[in-house]
Amino acid sequence: MSTMHLYSEAPEGEVPSGSITFLEAITQALRDAMREDDHVFLLGEDIGYFGGAFGVTKGLWEEFGDARVLDTPIVEEGFVGAAFGAAWMGERPVVELQFADFITCPFDQIVTVGAKTHWRSGIALPVVIRAPFGGGVRGGPFHASCPEPWFVGVAGLKVVCPGSVADAYGLLRSAIEDDDPVLFFEHKALYRRLRGEPPPSSYRVPLGRADVVRAGTDATIVTYAAGVDLALRAAEGLDVEVLDLRTVWPFDAAAVLESVAKTSRLLVLQEPSGSTGVAGHVLSLVGREAFESLDAPPALVSPPSTPVPFAPALEDAYQPSVERVRAALEELLGY
Amino acid sequence: MATELSATPAVEAPGVPRETRLELHRCMVLQRLVEERIMALYRQGKIAGSVYTGYMQEAVGAGTGLALAPGDVVAPLNREQACHYARGLSPADVFRNFLGKANGPTFGRDGNMHFGFPAKGVFPLVSMLGNLVPVTVGAALAFKRRGEPRVALTYFGDGASSVGDVHEGLNLAAVWQVPAVFVVQSNQYAYSTPTHRQMANTNLSERLAGGWSIPCVRVDGTDALEVYEAATAAVERARAGEGPQALEAVSLRGHGHAAHDGATYVPAELRERFGDPIERLEARLRLDGLGEDELAGLREGAASEMAAGLAEAEASPDPDPATLEEGVYATPL
Repeated sequence: MSTMHLYSEAPEGEVPSGSITFLEAITQALRDAMREDDHVFLLGEDIGYFGGAFGVTKGLWEEFGDARVLDTPIVEEGFVGAAFGAAWMGERPVVELQFADFITCPFDQIVTVGAKTHWRSGIALPVVIRAPFGGGVRGGPFHASCPEPWFVGVAGLKVVCPGSVADAYGLLRSAIEDDDPVLFFEHKALYRRLRGEPPPSSYRVPLGRADVVRAGTDATIVTYAAGVDLALRAAEGLDVEVLDLRTVWPFDAAAVLESVAKTSRLLVLQEPSGSTGVAGHVLSLVGREAFESLDAPPALVSPPSTPVPFAPALEDAYQPSVERVRAALEELLGY
Repeated sequence: MATELSATPAVEAPGVPRETRLELHRCMVLQRLVEERIMALYRQGKIAGSVYTGYMQEAVGAGTGLALAPGDVVAPLNREQACHYARGLSPADVFRNFLGKANGPTFGRDGNMHFGFPAKGVFPLVSMLGNLVPVTVGAALAFKRRGEPRVALTYFGDGASSVGDVHEGLNLAAVWQVPAVFVVQSNQYAYSTPTHRQMANTNLSERLAGGWSIPCVRVDGTDALEVYEAATAAVERARAGEGPQALEAVSLRGHGHAAHDGATYVPAELRERFGDPIERLEARLRLDGLGEDELAGLREGAASEMAAGLAEAEASPDPDPATLEEGVYATPL
């Protein structure tokens, strides 16, 4: 991990099997959506000829041309706003932010125009904002953040964070077909690390539904995005359920309660600091609705409340690790 | 740009037909009368929240709103109530929003001028100034992508011209050459701050043309016919594929920023430089041959339309609190 780079072409160490990567599943979802619906078009910085900072849109400009793959100037507030305007006119724009950290720039458009328009006017704004997020890639304070907590809890927004190759495809297809603004956060560390088989073009994963990626009886780990892979590795050899939220807002409360009712123990694992994010909502829900089914105080594994540090020694200490999740899990099971 | 006398007639504009001249008058007088009544209701405590008017700027919303075709779209702001009448909204629609009624354009969820009307191609105002410039550019981009001969128009003031969104939106419009029209309301003040304390170069048409390469015509914002002619030309150039166009309408905000603001910071001598747009249009209509009786009839017609609208709005139901959470999402999960 220590020599991993922000734009690494391939993961170091073991290479999992499967014919496409997480990144390629996203590219395929964009391509299929564009082939099936002329209203779908892409907006973003360097996404055309260059194919995007991470290469997600590689090949799409060649297939669809300037009219549907639009390189923009460095104007996040401008092109996110323009996406809402085009959506008002019935288009289905998909915006790429080069890094999710830059979502601070179009924040106003997202929460002001994107979130509130349907409720107060009935105008639907079907826009997807794709944003590579997350740490473990030595990106430092401005290229490794997890900004999804800023949008968790915002009425009118949907926030999606896939954690598997099939979900990356199926959730993105659903997001593009959805009539609301969807923030689609793609974990950079998963781009080339996860591999899987390409889903058929008809494959969809419903928004707002969690997924039991591993069934278990002794405890539940609620997590999402890169946390899913981490949870699976930490739970090896234990009878622990891993619940992938997939959509972190509005999240699948019923699935959380159902799993906790079965296991009686809860660990929430998230990459944003514990002072923010969906973890607080999950813990609040379980405290209010499932208190009597708990056999132990719920556990939370998340980074400290600081920006994401750059130096490998610091980032490794900051990011949730298999060891930290395992230790928290053992403490939870031993309570 | 400024007129010497309030009754200086609007320009002759021989190409503007009689029915358009009368429609400009109707929209402007409606804005004046509805706003007067709204201010009264606000002072009586019957309208809550805040009230924004476009007093003495009525020519801009009317002249630009009527320059649009039915298939065009527009995002008006606080000062352009007349644009809503030009698009076919009624005083009842406007009163319902100010009164927070269930059948108003925002169902009681937003107040004052913060409303749109999807069926008439009107996007709802948001308070964050400048936001609707990129949104309008995006609507125009959709028209360009689909090859539709439609135009998207919005407004921003000298105040909002300092906002980053305005720059980003204008830049995108120019780079993409979309059929968007921007109407700059140079009304001399951003709340209490005069234009010369907001920007070094206060000539916004020069800045639009020179800075963003968007052709901009400067017009007298108190002259409805001059605004209408320039707006029509700009809209048609945009529709013809000549890229984004702009219009700078120079006027003076007649009231304060909102109803609570007495605008004591506006010097009396500045007020004397700007005429009343309705009086100016009526002076032209008299020169066109309209008699006093006919003018009085027009004003009475607008007054009855206003009164009927208010009665209709007052009789409308208040929103049911049980519906509050409906419609947060187009597709609830």
